Formats: sequence, C-alpha cells, structure tokens
Amino acid sequence: MKLKDWIAPFYVWKRAFEKPFTVPKPLKERPGSPRYRGFHQNDLDTCIGCGTCSSICQNHAIDMVPVDGIETHKGDSGLRPRIDYGRCCWCALCVDICPTTSLSMSNEYVWIDTDADVFRFIPGSEKKPWDSFKKGYKREEEYQLVDPRRIEMEMLPPEERVKSFLEMVKGYSREQAQKEADRCIQCGICTATCPAHMDIPGYIKAVRENKIEDGLKLMYETNPMPAMCGRVCTHQCEEDCALAHTGDAISIRWLKRYLADQVELDDYSKAMPVDILSNGKQIAIIGAGPGGLSAAYYLRLLGYEITIYEANDKGGGMTRYGIPEYRLPYDQLDKDIEYILSLGVEIKYNTRVGKDISFQEIHKESDAVLISIGLMLPYKMEIPGEDLPGNISGLEVLDKITRGEKVHFEEKVAVIGGGNVAMDSARTARTFGADVTVLYRRRIEDMPADEEEIIDAQQEKVTFITQAIPLRIEQAEDKRLSFIYGLAEMVDQGEGKRPKPVLIEGKEFSIVVDMVISAIGQGADFSFLPMEYEKLFSRKNQLKIDEFFRTRDSKIFASGDIANQTKDAISAIADGHRAARSIDHFLKNL
Amino acid sequence: MMKDILKRLTEKFPISEIEEQRANMIFVTMPKINAVQCISYLKQFEGFTHLVMLAAVDYIEDGIFQLTYILHNYELHTDIGIRVQIDRKQPVMESIHTLWAQARTYQQELKEMFGIDFPGSPDIDEPFLLEGWQNIPPMRKDFDTLKYSQETFFPRPGRKHYDPQKYMKEKLYPDKEPE
Repeated sequence: MKLKDWIAPFYVWKRAFEKPFTVPKPLKERPGSPRYRGFHQNDLDTCIGCGTCSSICQNHAIDMVPVDGIETHKGDSGLRPRIDYGRCCWCALCVDICPTTSLSMSNEYVWIDTDADVFRFIPGSEKKPWDSFKKGYKREEEYQLVDPRRIEMEMLPPEERVKSFLEMVKGYSREQAQKEADRCIQCGICTATCPAHMDIPGYIKAVRENKIEDGLKLMYETNPMPAMCGRVCTHQCEEDCALAHTGDAISIRWLKRYLADQVELDDYSKAMPVDILSNGKQIAIIGAGPGGLSAAYYLRLLGYEITIYEANDKGGGMTRYGIPEYRLPYDQLDKDIEYILSLGVEIKYNTRVGKDISFQEIHKESDAVLISIGLMLPYKMEIPGEDLPGNISGLEVLDKITRGEKVHFEEKVAVIGGGNVAMDSARTARTFGADVTVLYRRRIEDMPADEEEIIDAQQEKVTFITQAIPLRIEQAEDKRLSFIYGLAEMVDQGEGKRPKPVLIEGKEFSIVVDMVISAIGQGADFSFLPMEYEKLFSRKNQLKIDEFFRTRDSKIFASGDIANQTKDAISAIADGHRAARSIDHFLKNL
Repeated sequence: MMKDILKRLTEKFPISEIEEQRANMIFVTMPKINAVQCISYLKQFEGFTHLVMLAAVDYIEDGIFQLTYILHNYELHTDIGIRVQIDRKQPVMESIHTLWAQARTYQQELKEMFGIDFPGSPDIDEPFLLEGWQNIPPMRKDFDTLKYSQETFFPRPGRKHYDPQKYMKEKLYPDKEPE
C-alpha cells in the first residue's frame, strides 16, 4: 500500500469547512420566476364582474358567483370569478382578456391541503398569502387581445358644420362596423344601464356576423326607434362599457345606427314579419313623441287599436322639434315613425287635445288613455326685462327652424342655459353665422348637456361664460340688449350633491347682444286637462304616477318626459314600452 | 456578413420574402421543395451548425401550416429562420433528422400536435405526450379545447355559474307584474 492511500481519506477533510456547492435540503425558498403564472389575484374593487375571464377560459374552470359585500349596480354585476384549480391549466388567457386588469397571477405556486374542495376559490375574497405578491404574471399594457381604440367615426369638420344642416356624423361602413363590433367582448354589463335594457351584445353580434335583419329584429324587441336612437341617444351604455376601463368604450350607438341604416323601410316588414290580431280595444295616446310612439308600437303588436293625438303636423315630439337636422335628419325620424304607422297605428296630426278635441271625449271613447305630452313649455328666467323684444326661448328657435320658418339671427347672440336645448340653439345660431356666447350658472362640468354636444359647440367656436347668474335685461342702443349677469361662486353642498352657485355681491358684468335665447329648462303643459282631473296631480304640474305608470284615474296612464327623471328619448321609449305592458295587463284583468 | 450570406442565399434559392427582425435575426420564406436543401446548405457552408428549434403555426384561414426552422451561427452570433408554408390538407414535410439527430423529437411533437408527417423520421408515429389520443391533433385551430374539456372532465360538485347579464336583470330590473 502506498503512502498516498493512507493520506487520501484525511485529504477530503481539507474541504470540510468550505461552503458547499450543492443546495442543502430541505429546500427553504424556491420562488417562482418574476413573471411566473402562479395562483390568481383579483382586485375586487376594480373588478366589475363582467365574466369575460369565465367566457374565455378554455377549460371551463371559472364560475361567476355573488360575493358578500359586493353590490350589484350599473356597471358592476356584483359577481366575481371563482376558479376551479382542478381544471385551470395556467394559460393566463383570463388575465390577458380582463378589461379592467383587476385579474392577475402571483408567482406563488405552492399550496398544500388535504381537502380538494379548497382549491375552488374566489381570488381576492378568500385571503391568501400571495394576495399582496408584486411578482407574477400581469398583463402588459401594450399587450391586448382586444383593440382598446374604437374605430373613428368620420365627421364633418367644424368649419363645414357651421355652414349647413347636413348630417355631421357620416356613419360606419360595413367594414368599419364589423371591425368595431369585433372589439365587443359580449359581457352584457351595458344592458342594465340602458334605460330600455336593449340586448346590446345581441345586436352587436348581429353586426359582426352580418346578420342585419336579425339585428334589426332584436333592436325592435326593446326599442322601436333605432334610426333615431342610433343618432341622438344619450348612450349611457357606453359609460359603463367594460372596455371603457382601460380603453375606448364600444361605439354602441353608432353600431345601432349602422343596423338601422342597412335596411330600407320597405324591407322592414320582411325582416320583422308580424301577425296582428286585433282585440277591438281602443287606446288613445296624447303626444306622438318617442314615449307615445313606443307605447303605440308595443300595444299595437298586442292587438290594440291605437289613435295618437298630435298637436303638430308631424310626429317625433322633442326629437323632431328640439333636435337640429344636422344631428337627426328628419327622414330618419320619419323612417321610424312610418314603420310604426305601417302596423295600423293612426296619428291624428294638428289635433291639440283640449282645443281641437276635448279630453273628456277621448276619455269616454277609449279603453285607456296614455298621456305622453313631453315638456314643451319653456321656463322663464323670471328676471326684469325678460319681455323686451329680442328675447326668445331656445325651444321656439329650434321649433321654427324645424318648421322651415325664418329666424333672423342677429350678429351677436347670448344663449342662457347649459342643457342640450341651449347647446342646440347655440350651434344652430352659429350655423346662421352669429357670434354666440353661452352663459351658464354653473361650471362646464356641471352642464346637463351631452359632453359631445359641449365639445362640438366649443369646436364650432361658441364662447362659454360660466358661473354667470342672469340678473336683468336692459335696452341698449340701436335696439340692442344689455344682458346683465352676476358672477357666482360654487358652494359645496356635501357629498353626492351638485355644488350650488351663489351670487357674489357686487360682481356684475354685462354683455351687449342683439338677441337673447333662453334655454334654462322646460315643463309640461297640462292645460288641456279639465278642472275635474285636478285629483291626478300630486303638486303643481306634477302628475301622480305609480311604478306601473298608472295615474289616480284607473283609465289614465302617463309616460315619457313627464314620468321620469332622466328626461331623454331612450327613457321615454323604455317608459312607453313598460306603460304598454302595464296597460295590457290592466285591460286584461279588468 | 449577414448581407453576404443573404445575397448568396437569394442567388441559390427562390426566396419569396425576407424579414429582418433584428440585425442578428432574419427570416426567409421559401417553397417547401427547396427548404431542406437550403437548411443543409446553411449548415454545411455558412456555419449555421446549431438547430435552435422547429415549430409550426396553424393558419387555418389560409389553409396552411407554417413551419419555422431556426438555425444559429456561433461565429456570427446570428440566427436565421427558414419559413415554409405547407398545405393543410396534405401536411407532409421532408425530415431533417439526417442533419440533426435531435430533430426527430421536434418532428415527433409536430406530428402529434399538428398532424404534420415527416416520413422516415424515427418513431414518428409514437406518442410524444398524449398517450391514447383519439381526437384531431390538439394544436390545430379547429380543435375545440373547451368542448373537449367539457366532454372529457366531469363537472365538480358544488359549482354554479351566474350569467352577469341575466343576474343583473334579476337584481336590478326584474319583470314585475302589477297586482
């Protein structure tokens, strides 16, 4: 035996106190890589329960379930995803599609339990050690399965718009519409927000699949005026669109317009074959606005004989006489109305109830009467000098333009108010070349007008003076008017309430104009109702209506702007539909 | 350097498309019939001795599978990708296991996942991951993963799903009948 063999065993001891190269067991920390797709995290406050994670899951691993403490409200279903880890394959499609980016994955991957059922859990709701992990798989901002930008709608440039009443929005081509429809994730969160609860995902799908007639039919189930709504609806649905959380909302309104535009009126009956069996019962509707027309349509489908009494020579109500032609061309409104008439609904035009025919007569001859007269009476500013010549209401301006009457717009015009009537009057005056200033008592962000109308008016170079309270109108030289207003400060009214404009004493300004257009709101004109119907009112000019649109007279119902808070066309249409169902119910159960 | 290689390549092979993704990453597209010849040339004469990977994409809407061979040149630290489009109805491609023995593994996988055949490749018909698979190859776009998952795996007890649109109707605006 050699000497080396004797020494060798001791030789290894030389390394005994060095740091070993091997990893000691048991392993203490084995973190997943920074972008590892581990257990899910969900920010419950950001999540809106749209269920897109559940729909995209290729393993059927995600259920949408109610969670304690999360309320269902507009824009949030109140549901949250529950993931079955018995099926999850960690592909992260759910994270990639999540429109709010609330869903992500931590890099944690060890979870040991003897009860198999715990692996079906609601991330974010059931507290887990990895809830606060920063590392893991998050969707990169630039990586999106759905295009976050909407297809731009082509519009006439502002300098062209002020020259004429041509429709300013051009509408989508088929290619554009299908591309826009393709962005929709079909979650249906918008449906609850729409006052008429239209099946928005349904008709967007029809656009995508180019099933135009199916789409039209679907729209008519909840809204018999899609050509009109496709243009001027207040589109609250788009505010709650799931995609609006990290990108642009789907252009729901323009897609509705696209569907209505694709079918000629003559082909409506082919797209929507109806078989109306008359039941012989008579319904009188007062007012051929969206509310009255909508009720007429749905009642007619149920077999009722409908007569609408309309004071004007055309139907459409405020949508015709209050919305300028560049936003809603009259032929489009006619298309919606013509179709309803084609089903056998009769409109008696130029028939003002209370003047041309008495209310009692209508009441006597009909099985039910629906009052849907809208708000056509402009409020007065109640300031001195209001009766001076040169002061006119916004409604009167718009009404005259619609009728083709001449309105002589002078050089400088002041419009008082911040609603849609004010914006439409201001923009109409611009079209006639006037220099227009809008005065409003609150701030721009407080204006009840649609945001896009305000932006369009600004683009068309309408001047805005805000926090201006009307004080009086005085006669100035050369038949001009001096409009005197006081500056207001906004006083906070506590949470959830609009701040109130309060006049600052001594801060008076004036603006000399040729014309003052007041558009500070409008009320209903109930003067057609005889004294004996006094009992229908809860207070001055306010009909008492229950949730089924019944008044205190069992035969009289009311809907439209006089019956709801939002006072827009789509709410009137929704009301009309519900009032129709309600009337049908009461007449059947008499 | 890469310019020269590309120049020689275009002279020798009918390249239909060149995409320079980075200075050291270039993709060329060529007909199926020339591809293996080209790969062989790159390996023998241009120093692309390393097969990085071989992958396929199903372009079902165009009726083709696109194969991508990525080769690496150690001296130039450069990658070249050779793209070949093959008919989806006749998914057959020449094998390259004679150039790189390990190519057989990629080809075996492609056979199983996409159904692309490489005649002559060793064990090409043996299961790669999916033992006893009796469906169309799962990476084909017409394979319905969700349907397969629903049919194959039983639903676990205790699961219940609420449709958001219907649930919101129930909660916020249920149909109400007047009494």
